[in-house]
Amino acid sequence: MKSNKDKYIRCPYCESVNVDNGGVVYCRTCKNRISGNKEINLRNAWAMLITAMIFYVIANIYPILVISKFGVTSSNTIIGGAIALWEEGSYPISIIIFVASVFVPLLKFILILYILTNYKKPQKGSRRVDQAMLYHITEVIGPWSMVDVFVVAILAGVVHMSSVKITAGIGATAFVLMVFFTMLSAMSIDIRLMREDNDGD
Amino acid sequence: MSENLDDLIICSHCETIHKKVELPEKKVAKCSVCGKKLYSNVEDTFKKAIAYSITALILFTIASMFPIIKVYIAGQESDLTIPGMLITLFNEGFYVVGSIVFVVIVIAPLIVILSYIALAILTYFKIFRGFAKHIVSFLITSRSWAMVDIFLISILVALVKLFGYAQINFGVSSIALILFVIVDTFVLKNILPVELWTYFNRAYDEK
Repeated sequence: MKSNKDKYIRCPYCESVNVDNGGVVYCRTCKNRISGNKEINLRNAWAMLITAMIFYVIANIYPILVISKFGVTSSNTIIGGAIALWEEGSYPISIIIFVASVFVPLLKFILILYILTNYKKPQKGSRRVDQAMLYHITEVIGPWSMVDVFVVAILAGVVHMSSVKITAGIGATAFVLMVFFTMLSAMSIDIRLMREDNDGD
Repeated sequence: MSENLDDLIICSHCETIHKKVELPEKKVAKCSVCGKKLYSNVEDTFKKAIAYSITALILFTIASMFPIIKVYIAGQESDLTIPGMLITLFNEGFYVVGSIVFVVIVIAPLIVILSYIALAILTYFKIFRGFAKHIVSFLITSRSWAMVDIFLISILVALVKLFGYAQINFGVSSIALILFVIVDTFVLKNILPVELWTYFNRAYDEK
């Protein structure tokens, strides 16, 4: 059944259908405020995104892993670690690390930037679904950037012998904060904005 | 208003509005525009959820108590347990990494499991409606922060990194962890928010 679209609004928290009276609407099921806070949401999304980008740069500069072998300390950055694995011949793992830690965060930044800069432009029906799809892609791939942090935590948890010892580096802290803020940024985006600004149908 | 709002549903993917229909067992309603799953038979889904959350709780307890892998490096033995790993991170001063890892692989999954169990108990006795409502909201938010599945893949990646230097044996918990991830991915994370709310409303409204 298709009915007058503008009359109803979906609660993003509990998915229940509410009547949109044009003003501020509180969800009738979960009592959350579900409209009239468009600008606040967008500002939050931008702030979180910029914070995440700063942490991304820091995470790539500083070592994520510190290895001390017989008193000799060497440290690995994210890209350095992926390159080292490649040179050792573990190509699949090198690719996983590279995709999860370097490529996925960048892809997420680009997708969120695209959504945030484009939402105001009027769009036709097919473009709208595309944007929603982009958002769902960022939602699905987002947590996978945590792979590198977990690997560091596991290695640090296992390798602490008298001769060999692995500890986390400053890069790991920056990286975990980057993932955290990217997720918050994606969560602040209200995908219904893409519908509200659509006057195509 | 001529229509009851509870009989309507808006697709979370493309925002198309649909009218809900009563589904027979094991059937799924899909969006007519984008084909995304809208909801499935609720009674069916929730019965499964309760059984699997108890299973998940047992599996999770085993997974976090015993070693997941055992590693021998340079004649020394070392275990990977979830608490041990977190303690090491905290001892070395990585509080931020330690706390976030703690939240996403211990706290969030536990909240999800316990919420399902609590919800089952509260709806069975039809008590504390307001509190149960908070549980549902909290459950939905917590789910996006539970990352045990990603942790499992990370263990495999870490193992490959260690291959050259260490002898590796799998511990008791590895199987429990794998089973937990299967239950978590296919059952606990698969129940849609709208199904939870429908179940919630039905449980408290029918006499």
